[in-house]
Amino acid sequence: MKLAINGVTQEVPGDLLTVMQVLNSQKVESPDMVAVQVNGVFVARPQYDDFVLKENDAVEFLYFMGGGCA
Amino acid sequence: MSSGFATRALHGTGPASEETFSPLRTPIHDTVAFGFDSAQSIADAFAGRIPRHSYSRISNPTVAEFEKRVQQLADSLGVVALSSGMAAIANLIMTLAGAGTNIVASRFLFGNTTSLLTHTLEPWGLETRFVDMTRPEQVAAAIDHNTRAVFLESITNPQLEVADLAAIAAISHAKGVPLILDNTAPTFYLCRGQDFGVDIEVVSSTKYISGGGTSVGGLIIDHGLFDWTKSPRLASRAAKFGPFALLATLRREANRNLGACLSPHAAYLQTLGLETMPLRIDRSCASTLALAEFLRNLPQVQSVNYPGLTDHPAHALAERQFGGRYGGILTFDLASQEDCFTFIDRLHLIRRATNINDNKSLALHPASTIFNEFTQAEQEILGIRPTMIRLSVGLEEIGDLQNDLEQALIS
Repeated sequence: MKLAINGVTQEVPGDLLTVMQVLNSQKVESPDMVAVQVNGVFVARPQYDDFVLKENDAVEFLYFMGGGCA
Repeated sequence: MSSGFATRALHGTGPASEETFSPLRTPIHDTVAFGFDSAQSIADAFAGRIPRHSYSRISNPTVAEFEKRVQQLADSLGVVALSSGMAAIANLIMTLAGAGTNIVASRFLFGNTTSLLTHTLEPWGLETRFVDMTRPEQVAAAIDHNTRAVFLESITNPQLEVADLAAIAAISHAKGVPLILDNTAPTFYLCRGQDFGVDIEVVSSTKYISGGGTSVGGLIIDHGLFDWTKSPRLASRAAKFGPFALLATLRREANRNLGACLSPHAAYLQTLGLETMPLRIDRSCASTLALAEFLRNLPQVQSVNYPGLTDHPAHALAERQFGGRYGGILTFDLASQEDCFTFIDRLHLIRRATNINDNKSLALHPASTIFNEFTQAEQEILGIRPTMIRLSVGLEEIGDLQNDLEQALIS
């Protein structure tokens, strides 16, 4: 499916992808230190496995660096 | 093509080695800036799209390791380390509040915290409403729609007052206001603030954590309990970062713009200090209780104040909140200020110094030192008496401490 990830449109293998699957597919470093937005709306961490993305969704991974975040 | 001497002096013969030696301690990353492979990667780092340290005023690997260790020990959502405990308080309050708003704070605070609120921040338009935290109804009455936080210390320094954290948290949350606890005295080892509803802790890591007065530092610990969409200053960031709104704002705004970053050297020392912190706290708490009981039997001592004494007004509350240990500070009163000065001058082993929770025991006359910018009338309101001595109990043998106190009190 086609997704805009951090502003770059790309084809991600799969039809029904969750936020967690996209995090894994993108090899996001330190997934426990990233905030995720879909179409500009914050997605809480407990929702990562259940939040299913749609074609052309805009997904942003935002880090706030420095460590010390669970 | 070979480079010139000055260029080789700067860059060596190639990139810095990244060989891993598996050190048991996180190395001190004593650098200001971090290099990037491409223009895109530095742009991605600045935009927060990739996790990279870029500049040590904002983040640094050694400091990050210290923050991570504290986050794990405090069982919190996240931690930001700063250059001092006062920097932690200032950065936090300036992030949550502003001109035209107010903070509800304990009437009993560390003198420099009182000074920050009244002398430094009040001219910028922040009002502080001081209340008696042992009377939670005063907290409820002081909060209004412009209140941005409630602030108190777990064991006030040096009054050693203990308030009911759960009761104050319930009031704060009912009014939609976060509760900030200065948890320096017991630390998150003795007092898990989140168990009592505390939203954010500040800790002076200079004290118990530094492991012997080695370095100055401070911590902001977010337990992730407060809904930041209720905070006028953080609501827009909450939409973007959710529960990480405060941490992201501290990192991306307060750290960056105010610049009170912890140095990598201090972070290294304080990470080392964390390893032995529980052992040192256990010993100093046991010694403090023993000295409190010892001092109250000496004829020159008018009174002894320590939450571990069963007749302290908040003993039962302190036992519940701190798990049967009551911190490493006690105060006692002599007949006059002159007697206090004479006693302090006669000490041989206990040092004359203004710090607490050092490995060495320290004595101080608060009225003439950490509260000297306040008038005597103001000191009375702040619970400071000219006859009061503060004793921070370290790790020496208890018999040696008793001997030093006794010989200094002989008239």
